[in-house]
Amino acid sequence: MRRLPLLGILLALLLALTLVMAACGGEKEPAASPEPTAPATDFPLTVTRSDGRNLTIAEAPQRIASLSPAATEVLYAVGAGPQIVATDLQSDYPAEAENTTKLDAFQPNLEAIAGVEADLIIIASNQDDIVEALDRLGETVLFIEVPDTIDGVMGQVWLLARVSGHAEEGGRLAQEMKDRMRAVTDKLADVEEGPRVYHELDNTFFTVAPNSFVGDFYSLLKAHNIAEGAPTAYPQLSQEEILDRDPEVIILADADAGESAQTVKARPGWGVISAVKNDRIYVVDPNIVSRPGPRVADALEQLARVLYPEKFP
Amino acid sequence: MRRARALAAPDPQADAFAGEEAFALPGVRPLRISLLLALAAVLAAVLLGASQGSVGIPFTTVVRILASKVLGLGSVTWPETWEEIIWQIRLPRVILAGLVGATLAFSGAAYQGILRNPLADPYLIGVAAGAGLGATIVLVSPVPYAFGTLSLLPPAAFVGAVLAVSISYGLARSGGVAPNVTLILAGVAISAAATSAMSFLIMANHERVATVLSWLLGGFNTATWQKVGIVLPYSLVGGAAVLASARFLNVLQLDEEEAQQLGVPVERVKLLVIVTASLATAAAVSVSGLIGFVGLIVPHTVRLLWGFDYRRLVPMSMAAGAVFLILADLAARSVLSPSEVPVGVVTALCGAPFFLWLLRRHRRAVF
Repeated sequence: MRRLPLLGILLALLLALTLVMAACGGEKEPAASPEPTAPATDFPLTVTRSDGRNLTIAEAPQRIASLSPAATEVLYAVGAGPQIVATDLQSDYPAEAENTTKLDAFQPNLEAIAGVEADLIIIASNQDDIVEALDRLGETVLFIEVPDTIDGVMGQVWLLARVSGHAEEGGRLAQEMKDRMRAVTDKLADVEEGPRVYHELDNTFFTVAPNSFVGDFYSLLKAHNIAEGAPTAYPQLSQEEILDRDPEVIILADADAGESAQTVKARPGWGVISAVKNDRIYVVDPNIVSRPGPRVADALEQLARVLYPEKFP
Repeated sequence: MRRARALAAPDPQADAFAGEEAFALPGVRPLRISLLLALAAVLAAVLLGASQGSVGIPFTTVVRILASKVLGLGSVTWPETWEEIIWQIRLPRVILAGLVGATLAFSGAAYQGILRNPLADPYLIGVAAGAGLGATIVLVSPVPYAFGTLSLLPPAAFVGAVLAVSISYGLARSGGVAPNVTLILAGVAISAAATSAMSFLIMANHERVATVLSWLLGGFNTATWQKVGIVLPYSLVGGAAVLASARFLNVLQLDEEEAQQLGVPVERVKLLVIVTASLATAAAVSVSGLIGFVGLIVPHTVRLLWGFDYRRLVPMSMAAGAVFLILADLAARSVLSPSEVPVGVVTALCGAPFFLWLLRRHRRAVF
């Protein structure tokens, strides 16, 4: 059947796309990241979107639609909660987000998004060219792709605080996050080279490379990511490569698919891996670790505890 | 001009009851020698697949590890990791790829013969869509689908595939006869329905999309001996049944009515081949996902190279399918090492140009 190879290619494209979404990975586009030293909120405010276009926001938005779970978390954290009228289906934190109108960011419905009459729409993934479609309708769309570094995440926290009219709270939040992360990295000052680590996104061995923001956690923590040198930000590793690179710690972000320390230990051949021998397999919550929002500080602390239990009792 | 001559050439199916080499091309070797060479090619591919990988292990060490594991020869002088990589990861992967390749290829040849349709492949009457739907249901359900080394995925995909084919066949059959066109149309309709249901489930459960798609795309990165054990019995039974039906498949290339008059139990052969080939394909799909192209193109390639006789076509398709998928998987895990490429992408990207080149070179009727 002629259709099958084509179907395969389509599936491959879809898979690549969804992995990027699921892992909250982004393109290499520089994220819109103004300097935190910029003057406090002064509307009208002009910012640069991930597609390179400038967006001018005339006055503080009163009806915000967030189609990004990370942006939703930031907005609530800086006190913009009352302005939020709609969030996407994946926005499940904080709990208040569940009470807003729900939109689909994965299969965006133009009519539904326009229908909430938001004066600011935040989008992290340009599914089906939804950004251009909303632009044509004259909507105010802030398109910010997932950054590839923790610095990029901090930049977006600050940006979202400013565009929502909460620059002051944003400054405080960013400072608090930085202090917490600094406290972690300070404790690692004397670490020369941390443990080798394998971060599992799913049970077909997709993982995070150092050039993704999740991979950046491990760089900050001085751990040696076994996916180093992979050609993409979210590569799929060969099993033999995992065995050969012998991770000392395995981080599982796929517990919802049924994976656990037990299932990893039961995989044929994996018994030779140090992490398996020494029982250093840990489950993390992907909603905390894979979301470029205010909880990156929590993620860094959690990962530090499992990588260096002696330093973080 | 040349094409016209090709079409006017004597119909190779005309003397289906002639001797062993009835359809052999001039210069084609006797069947036994061909089979021996094919077996040697498969063994060479297995050895190549087992000795190559992103982790560099010297060829002699690979051979010594295999000798020690299979024959109990020699003493262990290599790192434990290497032994595990060869024995628990590469070898099951290579064997599984070969087994799935052989299964898809002989099933494809059987479907093409039984349905007398050159576009037929093992997925045509519902196996692919049924397996996909079964797997998706398990993947999106809130129940965890993995329990230790046991996974609900293969059985669910298998049941889905078998159900879809059964429904297609059941719908097409009336008065003890399942006409080919009705069977194909029923299969296409069932596939469309199952695919839509699958798409709906995927879209309604975004968080599992990546898992579902990664399964559908197929591949051998998670191959284990356990999976080899799942496929092997179905492949053996299916392969034996199709091999045993080869003579009937030759006669079936005539008009079905003529075949009936010549004493071929057309409907019974059809049912036997469809049941066994579908079960084997379902088992293969359940552990490796939907790998396209092999089941369609490998049998046609064998026809172009070695002629139309199903007694040769079926075993040569098995060998060619095994070699092709082992090499495709080797490429899938090598080109972007240490990353993987979906094997279906490799089969289509490498297989299609080769087949087109062959088609141009021979310039004669393929089917």
